[in-house]
Amino acid sequence: MRETIISVGIDIGTSTTQLIFSRLTMENRAGSHMVPRIVITDKEIIYRSSIYTTPLLSREKIDVGKVQKIIEGEYEAAGIDPGQVQTGAVIITGETARKENAGEVLKALSKMAGDFVVAAAGPALESVLAGKGAGTDRISKENRAAVVNVDIGGGTSNMALFDCGKLTGTSCIDVGGRLIRVEKGKVTYVYPRLQKMAAAHGLAIEEGESVQKDKLWSICRWMADQLAMALHLKPEEKEHEGFYTNGGKPLPNQPVIEGITLSGGVAGCMKEEPEDPFCYDDIGVLLGRAVRENKELSGLKQFAAAETIRATVVGAGNHTTQVSGSTISCESKLLPLKNLPVLRIEEEDTGSAESLQKSLETQLELFCPNGEQETTAVSLKGDGFGSFQKIQELADVLAQSSEEKLARDHPLVVVVERDIAKALGQALKVRLGQKRDIICLDGIAAGSGDYLDIGKPLAMGRVVPVVIKTLIFNT
Amino acid sequence: MVDEKQLRSIIEQVLGEMELPDINREERHEIHAAAADTAVSYKEEGAEEGVLPDISQVNVRTQYLVENPRNKEAFYEMKQYSPARLGIGKAGARYKTLPYLQFRAAHSAAQDSVFSDVDPEWIKKMDLFCVQTRCENKDMYLTRPDLGRRLNEQGVLAVKEKCRKNPQVQIYISDGLSSAAVMANAADVLLSIQQGLKSFNIETGTPFFVKYGRVGVMDEITQLTEALVTCVLIGERPGLLTAESMSAYITYKGTIGMPEAHRTVVSNIHRFGTIPAEAGAHIAEIIKIMLEKKASGTQLKM
Repeated sequence: MRETIISVGIDIGTSTTQLIFSRLTMENRAGSHMVPRIVITDKEIIYRSSIYTTPLLSREKIDVGKVQKIIEGEYEAAGIDPGQVQTGAVIITGETARKENAGEVLKALSKMAGDFVVAAAGPALESVLAGKGAGTDRISKENRAAVVNVDIGGGTSNMALFDCGKLTGTSCIDVGGRLIRVEKGKVTYVYPRLQKMAAAHGLAIEEGESVQKDKLWSICRWMADQLAMALHLKPEEKEHEGFYTNGGKPLPNQPVIEGITLSGGVAGCMKEEPEDPFCYDDIGVLLGRAVRENKELSGLKQFAAAETIRATVVGAGNHTTQVSGSTISCESKLLPLKNLPVLRIEEEDTGSAESLQKSLETQLELFCPNGEQETTAVSLKGDGFGSFQKIQELADVLAQSSEEKLARDHPLVVVVERDIAKALGQALKVRLGQKRDIICLDGIAAGSGDYLDIGKPLAMGRVVPVVIKTLIFNT
Repeated sequence: MVDEKQLRSIIEQVLGEMELPDINREERHEIHAAAADTAVSYKEEGAEEGVLPDISQVNVRTQYLVENPRNKEAFYEMKQYSPARLGIGKAGARYKTLPYLQFRAAHSAAQDSVFSDVDPEWIKKMDLFCVQTRCENKDMYLTRPDLGRRLNEQGVLAVKEKCRKNPQVQIYISDGLSSAAVMANAADVLLSIQQGLKSFNIETGTPFFVKYGRVGVMDEITQLTEALVTCVLIGERPGLLTAESMSAYITYKGTIGMPEAHRTVVSNIHRFGTIPAEAGAHIAEIIKIMLEKKASGTQLKM
């Protein structure tokens, strides 16, 4: 069995808008006489768009119409019809995510881009996608080292730290190439927060003043220092805390970072520095130089990123979709389902039927804002529920609680990590019969605060594509 | 002649000596902890207190015995992809003593599971009646596969008398080549298949147990019960990784003498492979598809 699907990645960033199409190949890796195990075996980028300047109506508003036109044009250029696109993600990144109509843009695009193209934003997810797009997870695994990817974009720098291939933390700071813009020898824009902090640091800068290269260079070197501080390579100064995007958290202290990859637009122009540092009407080129010359950052082992300016969009296209376990139980007429909030039953609550039920019912009530039920995905690890008897006990609690606490017309969605979903799904069906639709998936680890998107079944109904939109590392 | 006591102390001494350089403290602790659960402690005049570690409890997946490795973590991680006995070190050109004994122990377990019978108490507890093939003992079973493919006279009568006729699905259990596999997995798989079929509104016949059964006897059972689909849960020929692996063979309208290619098989059912409950759920779905498409084996495209 071999099946390919087309995935799209669309990234609307502070300075640029891009798109890629990729082909994901799925294969059954188990022998023909065994229970199937379908996995994604290959990811190939089949089309890369041009890099567009993100169209804005004003500083606070994205031009939805123009963005739509760009995307439509690229679909046409690639010869791909939205109907062919089976999965993917539209992501709004950097400063752009703080624009007032970001939500509206996401909605409009994910509708026209394809049936199961999901919308996402948030600095934590963006960091992870950029890190995966840059290939840092692979580099970290192959070198058995703690390697961080720093994606330096227009508005923010997104960091994702991988240790031996495993994600161990993300963080995001307001350091970027377009936080200060220049045109015709004048400073035309300074990101207000940066302006305030720079002034406090003795680097006052005003919009409208003439470009003083030395001052801009000092600011860029100071911003590069902030990156070194964020990676715990340099003692923090008092202004550092103010750099974290939306008051987010720093990277964990452990593991100690050994290597670095650099991606994003600023990293893109570090490789070949243009002659005129202000050719992009911003400080990106200077910031790139400052990062390259920073003592602490260059002390780390340098690895080449697989992608620079396209890292995030490649991440969105290639690395958002995973497939569920291959023995699942689901009503395909309900799919796709998007933006399901995750109700996590923690391990310590799975000891007895009573604690399980209590955790489930208390939380189900929380997912009833304004007395109106949201369809939620109940998530648990499933350790200790391998035997037929334990699966029955779990099914009893799930069936009973959903009858009591879940509104009539809502499906029961359960996701577990361990391979028990088909048995559990059938046990639920025997209990709930025609009363309620059931979707029961395994091979999916979703935590409290995550959102899930579940697509239409693939590989002859054996698996479903799932996108976990994780917010774990940044609240 | 060496008496039993002397023999024990020799074994103890050998194990003691061989353990020290080979196993780190955590692993030794693990072995001792496992042994405490399984070994029977004994007390004799002049004998030391304590238990011998049970080497069959050592987890081959986590065992790593190479001395002075270049990169232990990297090798260990790769080893996790395979259940094979990798990274077990060597003594000169030979195995180390511990892996050698483990290998022998696994081999013995495999033989035991072939030569032992399924406990009659287990069959009773499962509420199954028991029939036998034309084999009269294990030796005959192993040397005459043809006789293991047919029920004896009493068996035929019992199936005719006790089983519901014309069920959509007939499920039964058979020892096959591993009694250990059947006792470890068949209960969960059977319950799970039955529940799965119930969720699809498919009715099943009367389950029972076949002693000294080869896979082929399912075709005679199909003809006797006139079931559409027949499914046998049968112990697989044991290997050195596990002696507890079970398979399910499933046919649609099987007949005596039909080609083997018309059987569908789900193998590798055990706690380290596909877990029994999930395997049962999967088998239930295969049966549902078989009934819809009226085919099995290579004729069934899934």
